[in-house]
Amino acid sequence: MTENRPLKAAVVGVGRMGMVHGHLLSIYPETEVVGFVDLKTRLSDHLTSQGLRGPIYPTVGALFTATDPQAVFVCTPTHTHLSVVRKCLSRRVHLFIEKPLATTRADAEAILRLATEAQVVHAAGYVYAHLPVVQAAHDLLQQGVLGEVLRFTAHAYVSEVFGPKRGWFFQKEQAGGGVVANMASHLLFILGWFFGPIRKVVATTRSHASTVDDSAQALLTFASGVTGLLDTSWSMPGTQMLDYGLTISGRRGTLVLGRDRILLHLLAPAPGHEAGWSQIHASDLPADTAFDVSPHIGGEAFYRQLQTFVKACRTGTLPFCSLEEACNTQRMIDAIYVSAASGGPVELS
Amino acid sequence: MSNLILELRPPESHHYTSWSERLDSVARYSQPDEIHALCEKAYSLGARAILAVFDETIHEALAAFQLWRDVAVWAVVPNMFAFIRDLTDRGLVGAARARFTRLTPSGMARIGLRTMSTLGAILRRDFAVGAMLVSDMELAALRDLRVSRIFLHPQVTEIALAGGSAAVFTALAAKAERLGINPGIVTHNPLRAAAVLGRELRRFAVIISPCNPKGYKMFPDREACERLFRSAPAHFVALEVTAGGTIAAEAALAYIRSLGLAGAVLDFRTVEAAFAARRGG
Repeated sequence: MTENRPLKAAVVGVGRMGMVHGHLLSIYPETEVVGFVDLKTRLSDHLTSQGLRGPIYPTVGALFTATDPQAVFVCTPTHTHLSVVRKCLSRRVHLFIEKPLATTRADAEAILRLATEAQVVHAAGYVYAHLPVVQAAHDLLQQGVLGEVLRFTAHAYVSEVFGPKRGWFFQKEQAGGGVVANMASHLLFILGWFFGPIRKVVATTRSHASTVDDSAQALLTFASGVTGLLDTSWSMPGTQMLDYGLTISGRRGTLVLGRDRILLHLLAPAPGHEAGWSQIHASDLPADTAFDVSPHIGGEAFYRQLQTFVKACRTGTLPFCSLEEACNTQRMIDAIYVSAASGGPVELS
Repeated sequence: MSNLILELRPPESHHYTSWSERLDSVARYSQPDEIHALCEKAYSLGARAILAVFDETIHEALAAFQLWRDVAVWAVVPNMFAFIRDLTDRGLVGAARARFTRLTPSGMARIGLRTMSTLGAILRRDFAVGAMLVSDMELAALRDLRVSRIFLHPQVTEIALAGGSAAVFTALAAKAERLGINPGIVTHNPLRAAAVLGRELRRFAVIISPCNPKGYKMFPDREACERLFRSAPAHFVALEVTAGGTIAAEAALAYIRSLGLAGAVLDFRTVEAAFAARRGG
């Protein structure tokens, strides 16, 4: 791929996320959509009516026969990811896989292994990690502003499930779980990115409305020594979009990460930061987004996510949101479910 | 500033600085009386229009408010978050049926006729036809309100703009003309709107987009947006004027005035803060 040619990309699965990625790939100046893949090829008219240009093929094989994408966005239901990845990697294509990576830890690790062996660039779609304010929090931790990080508390809530639900998203075998796998995983990804590999998990989950987990509490211990609590539920009234928060305490201070701002309390001055309380608002951070695909759901993060992936493909380096990091998230998801089922702690090597 | 506009949308759809602030606000603004009181505060600050995404509470409050205050309602349809939630719970047909059954018999007849005439496009899941059908049903349910302008929900608008699809905007403009009201556009991507719609952009009475001195939510950047705004300032109304609450309302409005824009949209926090400041000062 040369610098001045757009990255040719295909989207597999044209549900809600597939269409969002299709639109972003269409509007991003350095990418070009060469095709879509979906069993329901009759969706072609629907895609065209939204302005999504590009033929729709029934299989990945048909896509590869007709065209030559350099990258594939896998947006099919979670339980199909491994088989879709196998088909995609019959060619050397870079991979972007929507979250969660798989329905099981074994499948997620198999996907990572396949992608690593194929020596392709890979990334997972944990979009909230691309919000400028989340990246700023990561930078503060990396700079050691809090000193040694000790503990955290976190929540991830949404008003989504208040009774029985239908569809693949609410089937454990197809979606990999409930609120933990599909909503809290956004926050688990961020925790893993901030604190490193997971070492031990003690958790409980409950199904009180749907047939999958509707709420969970987890005590997480990272190999870095950081410990903390996560509380999550998709049956909390009051929030149409995912509401998350993270409070991190270190030896030198505390950082509170919200949707649009960071509150920082430092016991002593740190380079660039005074002692006491200060605030970093999203509006104070540099913006490098050309299009907001979804104003209420942090649409700029989708654009930045694509930017990160394209840059990684251009340079041949793995981005921070690689499948390796997503596997750490999958290990947390898996351990939460195992711990909840057994009633005991789960140690990870 | 010639126009101040209050923004109303279900409190569950806002971002908050903490979970407790969220619960306090959602509990408070789930009461029609509290929304009514907010409208009254905005009116006392000079707001003469209300840009609203509807749920039952907002509908009830605005119906009562319009009984005794001469304010225009700028309707943003459809409420996409409610629709998407319904899609998950009930499927496409169930979501449409739920909206249809809320209509009056004459509304049902009108929508029924329209559905028959666009059946092919509906079966093909045509984006513009589908979006307008759901919008029509929501609009039909607002017949007790004095709606002077209609807008598509940003979730529909940004997807259409990303795809470069003008059809849904053309359909909205045609719908507004039939109703004898004005169409408008709410978007975080005004430059893209100008590029997609070209001269057709003039059919829309107003374009509402983020505008503040920090460039917050101004895509692709503040300079490009301001260039566009300056080309026809009377055509644009500012959104996100306080940059997420980081600029005082007075300074924010002074900046909008300096650009000569037609007005500014104030969210509930800005109205509450400005009202409290006026009482205090």
